[in-house]
Amino acid sequence: MTTPPHPDGATLTEYADGALRHEERARVDAHLASCRECQDVVDDFRRIRLAARQLPPLAAPGHAWTRVERALQTEGAPRTFRRWTWFAIAAVSVIAAAGSLKLLDARRQRTQAAPVAAAEVPTAQSIEEELRQAEQHYQNAISGLEQIADAEKGSLDPQVASTLEKNLVVVDQAISESRAALKAQPSSEPAQASLLESFKSKIALLEDTVALINEMRRRPASSDASAGLKRKGI
Amino acid sequence: MTVSTTDSAESAPPELVARCQAGDVDAFAELYSRYASRIFSLATRMSGSSQTGEDLLQEIFLQAYRKIASFKGDAALGTWLYRLALNHCLDFVRSRHARMDKVTDTIGDADFSRVPVARRDTPVERIDLERAVQQLPEGCREVFVLHDVEGYEHKEIAAMLGIAEGTSKSQVFKARMKLRALLT
Repeated sequence: MTTPPHPDGATLTEYADGALRHEERARVDAHLASCRECQDVVDDFRRIRLAARQLPPLAAPGHAWTRVERALQTEGAPRTFRRWTWFAIAAVSVIAAAGSLKLLDARRQRTQAAPVAAAEVPTAQSIEEELRQAEQHYQNAISGLEQIADAEKGSLDPQVASTLEKNLVVVDQAISESRAALKAQPSSEPAQASLLESFKSKIALLEDTVALINEMRRRPASSDASAGLKRKGI
Repeated sequence: MTVSTTDSAESAPPELVARCQAGDVDAFAELYSRYASRIFSLATRMSGSSQTGEDLLQEIFLQAYRKIASFKGDAALGTWLYRLALNHCLDFVRSRHARMDKVTDTIGDADFSRVPVARRDTPVERIDLERAVQQLPEGCREVFVLHDVEGYEHKEIAAMLGIAEGTSKSQVFKARMKLRALLT
């Protein structure tokens, strides 16, 4: 006696879910009685489905609320936590710096993507001015962070604070090197890109730091936030 | 203020709804603490990435903040929020599919490998399944999440994603076969 052809995938799926009509189910039953392979597939499908239904909710990252709250404030929502106001100010500074850098990036991409009219070609002076403005925003963000760090030293775990400090040194060094390269070759696009990337790294670090301090204030022994920094690979 | 991410099974009290509708961010933080985990789970599993899930979570709560004034109380607030989240995730999935056009992938013979899962009597470990779901290809992952995790019927999924009911079934089959191989 030959084994009848395997049911198609959709039929096996429906069978495992108990969703087939009587006649079709009987046909699959008959096939499974003589086909161990399909029976194994059905058994596995049922185990997978059962486990899928029982998957527990995933915990949202601790810093996710900070992002939501920041977005709400951008929407014009009133700030609710007076004691957090200055964190928000620092965050806004960081966002401003990031926004400025995005403008620069967009401009760079436009100039790389296609030739543009002569009037739109950025001059060395205009790029230099934009870089200077970006750096100003960046310095503002640093000032905000320093205010937080000075007043909130006790909130940070010493080991985490030490890691942050080391990361800041690394990023600052990258910025110095990029700046030196740009000074030597002001029109060098790789040097400009390198400086922008270094700024972005610093901004990302600042954003994480603000979130971390927020988190530490809420949960002094938070591991999520410091894990977030590690995930960034900084 | 501490904002935990533990969902509450209780429905949101009417005064919380009223405060949210009045633009009270404190109330919104409470709403977030009730439902963030549920929505983050949906967004992460549908997108296949916790980073994207976090982005979607932010967008969903921002959208909820913008739209909560229109909440009439016809359904529980949690149901309204979940529906909003699901629609947002579906928009994300649809836009991605429009680019990648993967949802209509056919199932090749290679996908129907009949290699059995080794330890048949042991339950599937949740943590292994969670990781494996993230490794599923786009297209079949979303359908699998909607069907096997969220419990929607093929007919509903077909309507949500604009695909044929048979495609939904085929995608669940494809996903389960891939998971079967990943969990071996």
